Amino acid sequence: MVLIAAATYSVSYSADQAWSDLQQVSPIAAVVVALLVAMVLDLVLPRRAQGPVSAAITVIGLLASLVAALLLIDRGHTAYYQFAVADNFAVFFDVLFAVLGILAVAVSHAYLARRNFLQAEFYVLLLAATAGQMVIAQANSLVSIFLGLELLSIALYVMSGFARQDFRSQEAAVKYLLMGGFASAFVLYGMALVYGATGTTLIPAIAKSLGPGSSTNALLLLGILLMGVGFAFKVSAAPFQMWTPDVYEGAPMPVTAFMSVGTKAAAFAMIVRVFATGLPGLSGEWAALLAFVAAASMIVGNLAAIAQSSVKRLLAYSGIAQAGYVLVGVIAGGADGQASVLFYLAAYLVMNFGAFAIMVVLAGPDGDRDRIGDLDGLVYRNPVLGVLMTVFMLSLAGFPPSVGFMGKFFLFAAGVHHGFTWLVVLAVLMSVVSVYYYFRVVIHIWTPVEAAERRLRLPAAAGLAIVAAGVLSVALGIVPAALFGLAQAGAVPVAGLGGG
Amino acid sequence: MLTAIWLLPLAGGLIVMLLPHRFAKWLGSLVGLGALGLAVYAAYAFDPAAHGYQFVERSPWIQQLGVDYFLGLDGISVWLVILNALISLIAILATPVDMRGAGRFVGLLLVMEAGMAGVFLAVNLLLFYVFWEAMLIPAYFLLWIWGEGPRPLYAALKFVLFTLSGSLLMLVGVIGEYVFTGGRTLNLPDLAAHPLDPAVQFGLFFLFAIAFAIKIPAFPMHGWLPDAYVSAPVPFLVAFAGVMGKTGAYAMLRILIPLFHHPVLWWDWNQVMPVLGVLGIIWGALMALAQRDVKRLVAYSSVSHMGFIVLGIFSLNAIGQQGAVLQMVNHGVIIPALFLLVAWIEVRTGTRDRAALFGLAPRMPVLAGVFLLVTLAALGLPGLNSFVGEFMTLLGAWGLSPGLAIAAAIGLVLAPIYMLRLFQGSMYGERSAPAGLHDLRGRELALLTPLLALMFGIGLYPYFLTRVMTSLGVPLPWS
Repeated sequence: MVLIAAATYSVSYSADQAWSDLQQVSPIAAVVVALLVAMVLDLVLPRRAQGPVSAAITVIGLLASLVAALLLIDRGHTAYYQFAVADNFAVFFDVLFAVLGILAVAVSHAYLARRNFLQAEFYVLLLAATAGQMVIAQANSLVSIFLGLELLSIALYVMSGFARQDFRSQEAAVKYLLMGGFASAFVLYGMALVYGATGTTLIPAIAKSLGPGSSTNALLLLGILLMGVGFAFKVSAAPFQMWTPDVYEGAPMPVTAFMSVGTKAAAFAMIVRVFATGLPGLSGEWAALLAFVAAASMIVGNLAAIAQSSVKRLLAYSGIAQAGYVLVGVIAGGADGQASVLFYLAAYLVMNFGAFAIMVVLAGPDGDRDRIGDLDGLVYRNPVLGVLMTVFMLSLAGFPPSVGFMGKFFLFAAGVHHGFTWLVVLAVLMSVVSVYYYFRVVIHIWTPVEAAERRLRLPAAAGLAIVAAGVLSVALGIVPAALFGLAQAGAVPVAGLGGG
Repeated sequence: MLTAIWLLPLAGGLIVMLLPHRFAKWLGSLVGLGALGLAVYAAYAFDPAAHGYQFVERSPWIQQLGVDYFLGLDGISVWLVILNALISLIAILATPVDMRGAGRFVGLLLVMEAGMAGVFLAVNLLLFYVFWEAMLIPAYFLLWIWGEGPRPLYAALKFVLFTLSGSLLMLVGVIGEYVFTGGRTLNLPDLAAHPLDPAVQFGLFFLFAIAFAIKIPAFPMHGWLPDAYVSAPVPFLVAFAGVMGKTGAYAMLRILIPLFHHPVLWWDWNQVMPVLGVLGIIWGALMALAQRDVKRLVAYSSVSHMGFIVLGIFSLNAIGQQGAVLQMVNHGVIIPALFLLVAWIEVRTGTRDRAALFGLAPRMPVLAGVFLLVTLAALGLPGLNSFVGEFMTLLGAWGLSPGLAIAAAIGLVLAPIYMLRLFQGSMYGERSAPAGLHDLRGRELALLTPLLALMFGIGLYPYFLTRVMTSLGVPLPWS
């Protein structure tokens, strides 16, 4: 893409320009370099050393990416002929994805060994998916968004089927591939129509090309509709959520943990970037569409979660409902709406990943143990895990003083502020429903069991990641100002046209 | 200093949970005593002549939204903070040492104390909400894990879902209040200085009032109460019934009255609330008359008493509201004593059935004497504490509407019927109870002594409490 762009737009592409552009995408570059190194070393190293070495390279690459992203704060601009951008919005997501990747490595390491999976391949795919997420975050053009989306999705299709002996995992991979393919096709069709209507794929240029007649331009509206459907697939919002529970349930637990947060955050980055930045003039049109999707997600997710007996499925439906809450912030729009979306996604990272990470630790050599009954007496088998799982559930349910409460408060405040009170009231009523199923998990955790003596061993790396997520879930709720400040910095008007 | 009042029990509670069980009760009592000491010291240092909040602690919390960490103490909250600390200490002391998981139990009691103290201290709406919700979590675990009877889990879930549906609606109210007042602040004095349009007040009043009415619980939101009270373990019930219900009444006084003093659209909420209060008084009393289970009887009598508090608050005059605050303290003193006595009788006789209890007085003269005293206090005998509170409440209600005051007085007539019938039936009778019942132990009597002393003290000199409640009555321009 970069080369084509360079060839089309300009014949003289100076070394300075190349260096400057590379700096802007350095978080992605760091991940890609780590990916290549891990891939090559996998061929060279003896099998026994592959796992630890690729894990180390992955973590180093992600740390480098994290540092590179932090260095870009307030200093980013567009690059590669505006195909990429490193504004604070992009940087916020880069950081989010780097942290998610590191947590995922910490949690997966012991799991892969226990289930005897190929380790190096897993980390390479993890890096590819992370690179895809970051491309989406830094995309400033419909084309680069689609590029990132496919990079992310293809890596995840393979990861979902990573348990090659497990029929359910294979089924999940096929289901995800087919559904994801549909979604990608929708997105691509929509993008093509928007390109046809506006004559450009650059998001800021799309915003500029909108005029008074745009709201009746059938081509454009159909394009928005199709993109909206595709994005709704990716955030697993109703009525396009069907794939989520099955894929979450079938995929190996660390993959579920990774994609439950990663796909959702990346998809919201796309939605905010395309809709709020690219189509602000048509907000009335797509806000109505998304309001329906948000309401449907909250109702379907929360009601369906009640009846689940698998923790994976329960969290899948809870994730559908949570997508509905986040959409409230997207629809509200404005600086406060976007800031609340970013804040909530960061909150979702710690609490939802934390909950899944605990399920990863519970898994046995034969497979994932994700029946809700498998949590029985967790607090007596391992007090740390039991208490933290309780914290994650209460945070997801939105109890203060957890980060989940603050996130909901910011989202709902933005919603009421911008006149979507009915949606907020619905979200609140559905939150009451959600308490019921989150508390069901808590009840199982605290139910005394006979076999309580069987203590659960906690791998060091996974334990560290889980404890960190737990501490953050509470600390960010008590002192939300710092993170909210970052979210606000990330939310300032994204449409950087200068530079590059 | 105010931060210490809630932080000490919180930190202490978390430590107690981690320690071996045999230390739990003693360390917990020590923490509770420390919290009580802090609260009493705050009251001692409290300047009765000054208006507004004292010992104010204020620092930015979420700067971006203008939300402050803002604590303060005034002539109303000071008594409730002390009540909270005292009753929580008694609850900890009443915990049996050999209880299953006593360490976690005592720890959670302390965490709950911290949450309730925060509710009484917060002067920022969001901070208030955080404490309000946070106290629900320890209450849920206490009610579920240590619950008695056949369905503790059902009772606990019912309680949580009831209160939560109210408080999440209140969250919408908090956000609405924030947005409608211009989105600059959530500090209560500033909000009170910007009264909203009556129609907006009408809507917001409803959102807040539902949450508070459920917590009190006020008629007709009391559906969760009988199940929760019956299945609650007694040491928890002491704090639960004694203090947590007061948070709802306190919040009405602290938030509903000053922020929404003219909530009129389709009707005037200020005229609906006192009627609900009176209905609660009569309904609770009638239900208490019909109960055989003594614990349930006391639970319904509690609904009746809380009706007086609602009536007093919405009499909207100084004397009625002072009576309501006094009544909050009185009820917080009497109900724990009643529940403790009922529990001790159950331990000795093995039953809570009113019909199965008879002739206990000859076997347990001391217990009978104490029970009589508490009964008389509960039904409002002059000279004991409840009389003053109910009298002031009725006086205030008379100022609002004589008809309501007369209707409320029906509750005063019914209370002696169900209370004295309970006392007579269980303590006296044609036969004496079987021998071998141990009278009140010294330790148990010592636990009740502070409560009995308060019943006399407040009854004889209520002015000590009411003299600092200078901010009550309408309008309420607190600075």
